[in-house]
Amino acid sequence: MNTVACYKVVPDAQDIDVNPDKTLNLDKAEMILGEYDLVAIEEAAKLAEATGGSAALLSAGGEKLNDTKLVKAALSRGAQELYCVIDPVLDSSDAFQTASVLAAALGKIDYDLVVCGEGSGDLYAQQVGSLVGALLGVPVVNAVSSIEAKDGAVVVERTLENEVEVLEVTLPAVVSVTTDINLPRIPQLKDILAAGKKPVVKWTLDEVGGLPESPVETVSVLAPENIERKHVVYESATDENIGELVTNIKASW
Amino acid sequence: MDFKKTEEQELLLESLKTVMERGDFENYFKECDKNHEYPQKAIDALVEAGFSTLGIPEEFGGTPTDILTQIMVAEEAHALGYPSLVWINFATEVDDILTFGNEEQQKAVLDYALQGIKPFTLGFTEPQAGSDSAAMATTATKRDGKVYINGNKTFNTSADRAPFMLCVCRSGINENPYKDFSMYLFPMDRPGITIEKLDKIGNNMCGTYEVHLNDVECEETDIVGVEGKGFYQLMKNFEVERLTICAANVGMARCAYDEAVKYAGVREQFGKTIGSFQLIQEKIVDMKIKIENMQNMLYKAAWKKMNGESIQIDSSLVKRYTGQAAFEVIDDAMQIMGGIGYTHDCRISRLWRDQRVYRIMAGTEEIMVHTAGRALIKEAQ
Repeated sequence: MNTVACYKVVPDAQDIDVNPDKTLNLDKAEMILGEYDLVAIEEAAKLAEATGGSAALLSAGGEKLNDTKLVKAALSRGAQELYCVIDPVLDSSDAFQTASVLAAALGKIDYDLVVCGEGSGDLYAQQVGSLVGALLGVPVVNAVSSIEAKDGAVVVERTLENEVEVLEVTLPAVVSVTTDINLPRIPQLKDILAAGKKPVVKWTLDEVGGLPESPVETVSVLAPENIERKHVVYESATDENIGELVTNIKASW
Repeated sequence: MDFKKTEEQELLLESLKTVMERGDFENYFKECDKNHEYPQKAIDALVEAGFSTLGIPEEFGGTPTDILTQIMVAEEAHALGYPSLVWINFATEVDDILTFGNEEQQKAVLDYALQGIKPFTLGFTEPQAGSDSAAMATTATKRDGKVYINGNKTFNTSADRAPFMLCVCRSGINENPYKDFSMYLFPMDRPGITIEKLDKIGNNMCGTYEVHLNDVECEETDIVGVEGKGFYQLMKNFEVERLTICAANVGMARCAYDEAVKYAGVREQFGKTIGSFQLIQEKIVDMKIKIENMQNMLYKAAWKKMNGESIQIDSSLVKRYTGQAAFEVIDDAMQIMGGIGYTHDCRISRLWRDQRVYRIMAGTEEIMVHTAGRALIKEAQ
């Protein structure tokens, strides 16, 4: 089975500062691979290894995708090759636009299964995986917590709030995986050294059909306001305490 | 001059950090230290992530890695709190055997090294032969086609776990001791070997032993390399070994510094953080200067070695300086922590106990003056 894992290069959340106007300051943030995407990469690599197939990586983004260290970081985790669509405008594309670009790129790649993380490491809209599947017109399943290869299909577990669905999904297909599906491997030096020699294919936006209009207008991306903790501790869940908690919450609005 | 780490080095150090973060070993190390236990769980995690293979040739299942990178990895592990004297990479020890040993010896040692198991305890120091290595008196006597080893070795790290001893013995073929030493590699479970644990003040996770060798029967093929050349063979890698030891010094100092400087920024006394007092700032600044100096000296020495330059003097200077400077940094870190730093709850107390021996072992800081001092004066003539 040939797999493709999609990933996004995002700012390291622990280095993000919030400006006084609640906008985000990314100046000090190192760029890293999205933490949810590491799980997708691992699953795609594992499935390809288990079935004698090949695993590829795919990303759409701005100039940071040219960063050779990030390329090595991605390719040191089991995949054989990397495809990326690079254009500065993709730094601020929304989920639909990103999904359209990824879907168009996938049209140029031989794949059976596309694996996405459960959401991006920065905005975490959890949209891209499902949109990619819809745009490609193939089966798409999110919240997947286990994948098993079967002839021409995969059997997946889908963990919902109160139940686990077991679904047989015919290939080609797109899945978004939960973080508990695996523990991503830790690249060894030999993997890191080999990563630098693996093929990387770079496309411009034009080569994948350009960027569609966005149906959504992003007005702003702001950090939530910091609220000071009230340090009120309720010793037990009596009716009286619960009533007081409700009153306190309402009063703080 | 390029001080930037390569992308490969950065990624390797990130992998190391992930191993240490996933393992969340801080409390585990505390328990191991308290109970004098070998930190097997942490060793397993590092071995699984391939760190025991670094520097071992590819044809023997390893990953070729330059000395500087190996040093950075050892330093970083100690900076992240990994305990001293239980490092899992034995590339240098393996190189001694790959260079001078026979095929059987090579295979035995490599198998253990790749699993992160210390392949042999080095039988060098003896009760009467510390800095004065010429005074070594353990003998290898040939009799009826066998070789019998007799003597006492001491300060043998991990003699309880290491499967072999690489033992330096007098062969009785030359009056000059340096031309009389031979190396023998034999399993530690041979009859005639007894070990006695030493009760020391730190490095509790690694046992240190006296080893008594009473008519230990060896085959003539147990010799490593050439009879009478043992001392010179051992010297092949001792400078690099010295640098690896120094990497632990730098790492331990960084570990203590990181904790103390963070504490200085949050601990409040007299209504403000103690880091706002200049007496504390002076300590932090001097600690940082020492860490920078240690790193620069160590990396430069490794760089020189990699570029084929002699590090005969450098290795002594680095050993003397990093031993002392790390000791001072850790001591100042404890001072900044106050009473908490003196408790076993605080990691710095362990570093304070553990690092002290680095000023003594593998060449005391006084012997470093002896070796570098003479060479510096000679060099100037």
